[in-house]
Amino acid sequence: MALEDYQGDMEMCCRCSACKFIPMQKVKGLQYTNVCPSIAKYNYHAYSGGGRLNIAVAMLKDGFKYTDKLLDIVYNCQMCGACGVSCNYAMDMEVLEPISEFRMKCNEDGKTNPALDKVIAGLRKQGSMVPARGKRGDWAAGLNLKDATKEKVDVLYHVGCLTSYDRNMQKLAKATVKILQKAGVNFGIAGDAETCCGGRAYQMGYKEDFLNQAKKNMNMIKKAGVKTVVTSCADGYQAFKVLYDKYNLKGDLEVLHISEYIDKLIKDGKLKPRKKVAIPVTYHDPCRLGRLGEPWIHWEGKKVPGDRFVFDPPKEYRRGTKGVYEPPRDVLNSIPGIKLTEMTRIKEYSWCCGAGGGVNDSNPGFARWTARERIEEAVSTGAEAIVTACPWCEKNFTEAIKESGSSLKVYDIVEILEKAI
Amino acid sequence: MALSKDIYKALEDVVGEENICDDPAIMPAYFSIEFAAVILPKDTAEVQAIIKLCNKYKLQFRPICTGWTGGFPKGIILLDLRRMNRIIEINEKNMYAVVEPYVISAQLQAELFKRGLNFCIKGAGTNCSALLRGHGHMDQTTSGDDRNHLAIEWVTPEGDIVRSGSLGSSDEWFCGDGPGPSIRSILTSAVPPGVTPGVFTKAAVKLYHWPGPAIFPIEGLSPRYTLKEIPANMMARYYSFPSVEKMWQAEIKLGEAEVCFELMGFNAAMVACNITTCNEEEEEVFAKLNSEVQGPGFFVIIGGNYPEDFEYKKRVLQQIVSEAGGKSLKSVEDPEIEGILLCQCTRISASIRETFRAGGAFNSIPIMGQRDLTIKWAIGAGKAKEPLIEKGLIVDDGGAFFGWGVEQGHLGKTEIFCKFDPLNAEAKAAVEGWQKEQSTRAFKERYFALTMGPQDEIGPALSNYHLWWSKITKALDPNGVSPEGGALV
Repeated sequence: MALEDYQGDMEMCCRCSACKFIPMQKVKGLQYTNVCPSIAKYNYHAYSGGGRLNIAVAMLKDGFKYTDKLLDIVYNCQMCGACGVSCNYAMDMEVLEPISEFRMKCNEDGKTNPALDKVIAGLRKQGSMVPARGKRGDWAAGLNLKDATKEKVDVLYHVGCLTSYDRNMQKLAKATVKILQKAGVNFGIAGDAETCCGGRAYQMGYKEDFLNQAKKNMNMIKKAGVKTVVTSCADGYQAFKVLYDKYNLKGDLEVLHISEYIDKLIKDGKLKPRKKVAIPVTYHDPCRLGRLGEPWIHWEGKKVPGDRFVFDPPKEYRRGTKGVYEPPRDVLNSIPGIKLTEMTRIKEYSWCCGAGGGVNDSNPGFARWTARERIEEAVSTGAEAIVTACPWCEKNFTEAIKESGSSLKVYDIVEILEKAI
Repeated sequence: MALSKDIYKALEDVVGEENICDDPAIMPAYFSIEFAAVILPKDTAEVQAIIKLCNKYKLQFRPICTGWTGGFPKGIILLDLRRMNRIIEINEKNMYAVVEPYVISAQLQAELFKRGLNFCIKGAGTNCSALLRGHGHMDQTTSGDDRNHLAIEWVTPEGDIVRSGSLGSSDEWFCGDGPGPSIRSILTSAVPPGVTPGVFTKAAVKLYHWPGPAIFPIEGLSPRYTLKEIPANMMARYYSFPSVEKMWQAEIKLGEAEVCFELMGFNAAMVACNITTCNEEEEEVFAKLNSEVQGPGFFVIIGGNYPEDFEYKKRVLQQIVSEAGGKSLKSVEDPEIEGILLCQCTRISASIRETFRAGGAFNSIPIMGQRDLTIKWAIGAGKAKEPLIEKGLIVDDGGAFFGWGVEQGHLGKTEIFCKFDPLNAEAKAAVEGWQKEQSTRAFKERYFALTMGPQDEIGPALSNYHLWWSKITKALDPNGVSPEGGALV
């Protein structure tokens, strides 16, 4: 669907400002009430979910008049979808979809962000969202992993760009492998044949690049006869599970995040966390595993003429309700010694880590500011570590912690589990 | 209407480069008109400096909070008060809180609940400014309107800082009328005419006892949050009555008995809005509830301070309702539904469901006044909605109105609105016509006078208040820089 297709939704915005805050019933005080990093940082209403819709619908009517400020607004958004969850508590309207289409429209009109162009140039050249040093599968050297493109496996572990290439993040891939091996899973990787999922290109507004990546991945998967993909990256999870489905590319591929998969392994008795890990932790819901990990709902219909904004057939909105929230918590709670304390902003109204939407590339300062807000919230729980389930979150938190001097530790869920098995 | 470089620089020097913007890209985010600039002041001193510059250069300005209403003339300076978001003080002993304009009601209430206190959240919703004056679901025990404002810090249209009531004499916020200057008649209504020009930069709001928990035990995910359990000594019910007269009789008696924490005269359509998560579900549930009710009704929350108090209040409630022939709506007795309503109707978190969700707009006639009289008028206004419903121009709510007692029924509020699709020109015209007709009827038939109505007609009947107000605003704003424009919710 194009931006024009969301005109009715955008015109439903009543400028109530709910999109700026966590759902009202969840407000527990003055602190940790903001849900949208962009409006929280930049303050002008234009940076809120509703403000973006109001601008987009005005431009649909009056023409697209690009200014530097407009592009600043468009690209200083993590596309985290929190605005939509808060809005959709009360309203029946799409919020993130038109915001995403607006960014794609900017892209189509050549109004791109130079830093993001550079990242996409790398993607086109190297099939990666991060600089590719060496080969994609180098991290697995000596681990004797199955090549899923050549050998029959039950599960393809899609590692992702950041975990594959960033030397500081490769530990996540190794921890994942250790866990899967311990549980006796017949899995493999695609190694050098793996390519970027395209999810972050989509977030940045480069739809064609996303589709190219999606097609490459699905061709490889079909050729290899893979039925189940497990990702350890929330962006990858959302790409395979939600976005590929949105564009009818997913077929009947089963897509699981590693937290879901290990939760199942634990509950099936195939994995037993036995060692005590005595760390007070808090858990950060990655946006694209949580609210944006909710399955895509295919729908086509028309507005019913009349007084209400209703459709034929009825439209079911994705309100963040069906994201992956409990499996990572269940995994943490299964580890002896772990004390999990929740932050204020969790699950469907979780605060973004700051790295989404390409903001870590286009405006690293804003990405780290967003992360620092989260770190402060994590520290307020008394936790010594923040656990997440996405390498992009971990990287951004780590950088922000380094900058701020906080003593908070950051772990991916596989790192914590690895300690316990 | 671009600002000259010199004026822009002068304003920028006050708030800093990041906090002023005249780029046309940001304007439609606020409203579909061009402002000369949007400015984000951080405190009273900055507001004052901006206003003084506005007077110097004869520039009009208007403030805005989270607001979904307000009229904004083209070319004005918009003061977005978003950065003024501090709770200055919560004074538990003297039961008031001092807030800046962009503290939202949900934030203040959450802080108050922890202290066993509460305040009046306006019906516009908990997402709106805590400083806003008006009425809301909890008026029965938290009063409403200007009765809740104590001392106020106000930057006048000429840029003077005025501190009203006790603040003017002793730096204390506990009273709006003294010792110190009482200017209650000027720091006035939330609806035009009479929206005080200038900017309220801080206000003390009155606090009340809260009999409920520090935090509601919410479970589930948006949009369906439920309560793990009904908090101790709390109960929510909806009662319908055989007639308006019977309902009114019960409402009066309950007020006299002072047993209700909340008495909100919801109609079945508004209950349906609250407990449903989408438009389609709302239509279904409304049909079901409509078949269950025997006539008009109200929603009640009882909050006991201890078990015996709770039992007493329940018994009194049951007796009064029973004497008036009231019937409890079974759907609301379901603990899940009861919990949803209990939480939402104290946190006031579903106002948008009640108003905007259906079609995207609503036009309302709200009236503060003698309940029995305004109810009689509202019955007629409800009947006048029926042809619009039949034509499919407005949402079918059974032609219902709603209202509630304020301060245990000493005062009352009645309201009726039409929900519609604002893009449907026929519907918009029909609703505006209905609104005008019913407001005129209210005045002509001597039910009440809406000060938002035609002032040349209404003013002479009300001591020519509009002429007095015009003189007052002219004296306060000799340069005409602070145009009136509606409530800032």
